[in-house]
Amino acid sequence: MANIAAQRIKREFKEVIKSEEVAKCAIKLELIDDNYTELKGEIAGPPDTPYEGGNFVLEIKVPETYPFNPPKVKFLTKIWHPNISSVTGAICLDILKDQWAAAMTLRTVLLSLQALMAAAEPDDPQDAVVAKQYKENPEMFTLTARHWTNVYAGGPSKNPDFDSKIQRLTDMGVMSHDARVALSTYNWELERATEAIFT
Amino acid sequence: MDDSTMTENSDEMEYQEDEEEDEDDNDYYYNYDNYADSGGDHHNDGNDQNSGGADFETLQGVECLNVEQAKNLLNEHVDLLSSKLHISPSLAKLFLHLNEWNVNAIVQAYLKHTNAFLVENRVKPPSTSASAMDSLPLPTPSSSTSSPHSSSSKTSVCSVCTLSLPLANDIDMRRKLHISPSLAKLFLHLNEWNVNAIVQAYSKHTNAFLVENRVKPPSTSASAIDTLPIPTPSSSTSSPHSSSSKTSNYIGLLSCGHPFCKNCWAKHFEVQINQGITLDISCMASQCNILASETLILTLLRPALHDKYESFSFRDFVSTHPHLRFCPGPNCAMVMKARESKPKRATCTSCHTSFCFQCGAKCSQRNLAQLEAEIENLSWKIERAETTDRGDLENQMDIAEKRRITLLKDFHLTAPGKEGRGSAELSLYLNSISCSGDWKQHGSEYYECSRYKENPNIGRESAHAQAREALKKYLHYYERWENHAKSLKLESAMLEKIRTRIHSKVMTSSGTWIDWQYLIDASTLLARCRYTLQYTYPYAYYMEPSLSHSRKELFEYQQAQLEAEIENLSWKIERAETTDRGDLENQMDIAEKRRITLLKDFHLTAPGKEGKGSAELSLVS
Repeated sequence: MANIAAQRIKREFKEVIKSEEVAKCAIKLELIDDNYTELKGEIAGPPDTPYEGGNFVLEIKVPETYPFNPPKVKFLTKIWHPNISSVTGAICLDILKDQWAAAMTLRTVLLSLQALMAAAEPDDPQDAVVAKQYKENPEMFTLTARHWTNVYAGGPSKNPDFDSKIQRLTDMGVMSHDARVALSTYNWELERATEAIFT
Repeated sequence: MDDSTMTENSDEMEYQEDEEEDEDDNDYYYNYDNYADSGGDHHNDGNDQNSGGADFETLQGVECLNVEQAKNLLNEHVDLLSSKLHISPSLAKLFLHLNEWNVNAIVQAYLKHTNAFLVENRVKPPSTSASAMDSLPLPTPSSSTSSPHSSSSKTSVCSVCTLSLPLANDIDMRRKLHISPSLAKLFLHLNEWNVNAIVQAYSKHTNAFLVENRVKPPSTSASAIDTLPIPTPSSSTSSPHSSSSKTSNYIGLLSCGHPFCKNCWAKHFEVQINQGITLDISCMASQCNILASETLILTLLRPALHDKYESFSFRDFVSTHPHLRFCPGPNCAMVMKARESKPKRATCTSCHTSFCFQCGAKCSQRNLAQLEAEIENLSWKIERAETTDRGDLENQMDIAEKRRITLLKDFHLTAPGKEGRGSAELSLYLNSISCSGDWKQHGSEYYECSRYKENPNIGRESAHAQAREALKKYLHYYERWENHAKSLKLESAMLEKIRTRIHSKVMTSSGTWIDWQYLIDASTLLARCRYTLQYTYPYAYYMEPSLSHSRKELFEYQQAQLEAEIENLSWKIERAETTDRGDLENQMDIAEKRRITLLKDFHLTAPGKEGKGSAELSLVS
């Protein structure tokens, strides 16, 4: 079985390398070890989304029963998205769970993830905090997601207002990531975020 | 000899028909008396359960089957359907599984809209043209059905494993596994139905075997042999001259025609079965949900996994069958069969576990524990609620409510206004602290405390206070329900105690066993009363406020009365001596009467619908 898995990954690896998406720098795939059980994926944030311009790194683990079971994929890059945990990077996507089909490939997975970034499903959330913001305060969500993209995924647009708020908290001795999480959670209200951190 | 078998067969046929089509027939083939005699219903010892319909609780006509019997029963359904529709048994099984084993409905749907039915049951892809339809219900897909995707198979690479398997290997496998039913019949007929011998001979010397069985002329060249026993090419299977198709390596085994190699199919099935999926195994292509039939799975699967597949699919079949339930007793392999699925008690004849037939569960201890934890959490949060964490509180309320609903769902305590089933079947056994309030505060109205008094001004209160009020109301009923559940559990210990007491009394020759037997009856009755009372609380909780005031009053009054009588009875049983037997029996009678009155008025009568449990029924004095 492992043999099929390795064969498949080898071929899929080639498929991704040759694909037109790579030519457009939309997706990327790298091997981590020689036995094709761990890979590193990279997807570009889709245009016209808060993730535009960012580069998101994924950890892909191939189970022994691949392709009959789905690969285990999670985000290594921190991301602010309703269906992706802002803490662990775990992804809530049906094709990585029960809708997986053996005929799917790593390329289709990467493209599906890109599609997920463009079209979130707040009603089936992985990160409840983000999903709530997405539904109740979409502008705030967009700003926050763009900020996270800027900080963690190398996105282009800086947000000086957010940066200064984080600076205020880091001056108090808070780690900058913790400050960002607290501020993002409380819609960038400095007082409530401070309260949440120090209580 | 022949005649007698004939009549036997026809008899069998008849009663099968009865079973399938005439479920209301009173001459149902199994015998209630036998069932009662076999000791299945140990709760009703000494009570004629059919007298006057006084006992609402036990489900009538329950039969206990072992695994073999259950399998036979399922197979009867399958045979019936497959003979009616002329489809393969594995397809019949699939249909039955997906349609709650309702043979008549399947036959109707199938005959009316064959195509739509097949698509709905995921046997056919929706896009298949009508012309391909006719050949479809055969278990072995012929290549004509694989229209939408057959073009892709020309690439001759399995999209799952990407390997081109050695041709010989592949064909050998197909040879072993895939012969058309007609060919199989022929082989069986010619070889005295010895399957193992056939498989061995076939796989060892295929050519010789085929020649020997007169399927092939001895002169055929080896190259042509390979294509012979395979049913999949559209040309007829038994013709040695059929041209070998180019797609022979990769075959669309399902009606959707997605081509994958056999090895991959086998691995796919293996992985799915190891995950416990048997009947819902679908095609490997993405977005394709066509189901794989049992025949296909079993032919491709490693023999080592066949048992696993069989047992898993049997489990699935029983769980989808509306009239079959696994006995929830520990290590009990029996299957219960009833004529109808209702939330009533069924008792297993082998392990004597009683359970609700509809949900098949004994008692959801886990749910209860979870609910308790959530309630703790919720009350803690309400206590400390500040304006800021309203979201948090609401979240907690949501969780608690969900847990509660799960619990109630298990017990089928639906709102009385909706379905009117007030009591469900669970067999918990149990002594009581019916009110945890201060005893001294009990006034003249003895069991006033079983009633929850709503705050009439609730509408004007804030959301916060309303939440608190809702919780309070819920806790009020829940606590009482739980106390009675605990008491019921203690009751079984109590029964044991009574037995030892009777034993010692008999030993010291103060009366014989017969003199004391009434005590056991009394405690059985007590358990029953408690049981009823326990479930009056969820009923009361769900009583709609819109329900007429007098009716609610009546219910609460009767509930209080029953509760009082139960406590009396419990006290008397504990202190019973020979001298007050008459007194005790009197008390038993009173308690039972109260229970019956309460049930008659409120059980299974949807308020407003039947109107027979109306408030006119006198307040029993």
